[in-house]
Formats: sequence, C-alpha cells, structure tokens
Amino acid sequence: MGASKLSGMQKQVLSLYRGFLRAARSRPIEDRKRIEMIVSTEFRHNSKEVDRKNFQYIEYLLRLGTKQLDQLKSPAIVSLSSIKVVTSKT
Amino acid sequence: MATQFSASVSLQTSCLATTRISFQKPALISNHGKTNLSFNLRRSIPSRRLSVSCAAKQETIEKVSAIVKKQLSLTPDKKVVAETKFADLGADSLDTVEIVMGLEEEFNIQMAEEKAQKIATVEQAAELIEELINEKK
Repeated sequence: MGASKLSGMQKQVLSLYRGFLRAARSRPIEDRKRIEMIVSTEFRHNSKEVDRKNFQYIEYLLRLGTKQLDQLKSPAIVSLSSIKVVTSKT
Repeated sequence: MATQFSASVSLQTSCLATTRISFQKPALISNHGKTNLSFNLRRSIPSRRLSVSCAAKQETIEKVSAIVKKQLSLTPDKKVVAETKFADLGADSLDTVEIVMGLEEEFNIQMAEEKAQKIATVEQAAELIEELINEKK
C-alpha cells in the first residue's frame, strides 16, 4: 500500500515541474506568482489531456519544457512570452 | 502497511517509539536538485536512527501540517496528523511536488529529488526535514 512507484517518465515530468518552481523562486514576487500560475495550469492541463501511453508526445513536451526552463533561468530573459505561447497553443 | 492511530495515541507512540521509525532510503542520492536520467533504485535496508527530541519532532510535524493545509487550500479545521497521507487529502503528484517545495522554503533546506519523490505522509516529510536540518549543524 502507499504511493505507487513512479515510472521513469513520470519522474522526469515531476523533476521538470520542480525545476520550474525553483526557477520561479528567484524572481520578484509578482513575476513569481505569474510563473507559478502559468506553469501549474499548463502541467495540470497536460496531465488531464495527454494520453499516458503517448510516449512520443510526452517526450516532445518534456524537451519543449526543458528548453523553456533553460530560457526562464537565463537572466537575459525578462518576459514570459515563450511560456505564454505554449499556453495559448493548448 | 499502515495502522491507524487516534491522535493522542499517535503522539505517544511517536515519542516513545522513535527508534523504530524508519523509511527506506535510495541507494543512490543525487547531489543536484534535478536529474535528467531515470533509473531503478535498489531498495536498501531501512536504517534506524534516534530523533533529536520529541518536542522538536512534534513542532516539525505541526509546521509540516500547516504548510500542507495551506498548499492544498484546506480549511483550518481539517485534521492533518503525522500519519496523514497526502493522497488522502486529495493531493496528486504535482501537488506533492508543490508541498515539498513549500517545505524546502519554510525550513531553508534542499531535499534530494529521489528522497522527495518518496514522501507520502506528513511524518515522512518531518523525518526527512529533521534529518536535513541536523546535517547542517
């Protein structure tokens, strides 16, 4: 009994989510709240809509998310347009 | 295998039997906050350890409970005790990540991702937190 064992792909998703939350933490409070809201909405939307067996698409989303996270971490990036783009696409 | 205790008995058991409380630790511990690879962790033998003090432990559990309630937007009267499973409060795996991040910030610690992913109850979270705090001393 207890929490089921997470699959490797699940761990990657949670790791990415964690990375976004950590990156948001270093931002000013208003930016941080917006980032957290956008990221949370996006992950929860995908967790509902994406077929868990569609590994190819999930891998694509993981790569896309990792790229966006790298952008978010860059001090040169001050806007959130790249994240918004994905949000509007879904 | 979880046994249900009433709140008061739970507290006594927690104080009296801390040497018996343990959870399995992964064989490999990542030193980074994030891992890009996934792999199967070999289950290691549970280790036994003493907690610093019952008072500190109870305080930690109460703090953890407060953060869990806040994170999951639960009403203040919602009962959250050491044995409460996050899943029983309606938390999914994304919620659990948020809870762990909130705990890290509150206690000013960083949890290794593999350990964090295994946390399922308030008590497990409190134990790991105290372990990490002690390591910093």
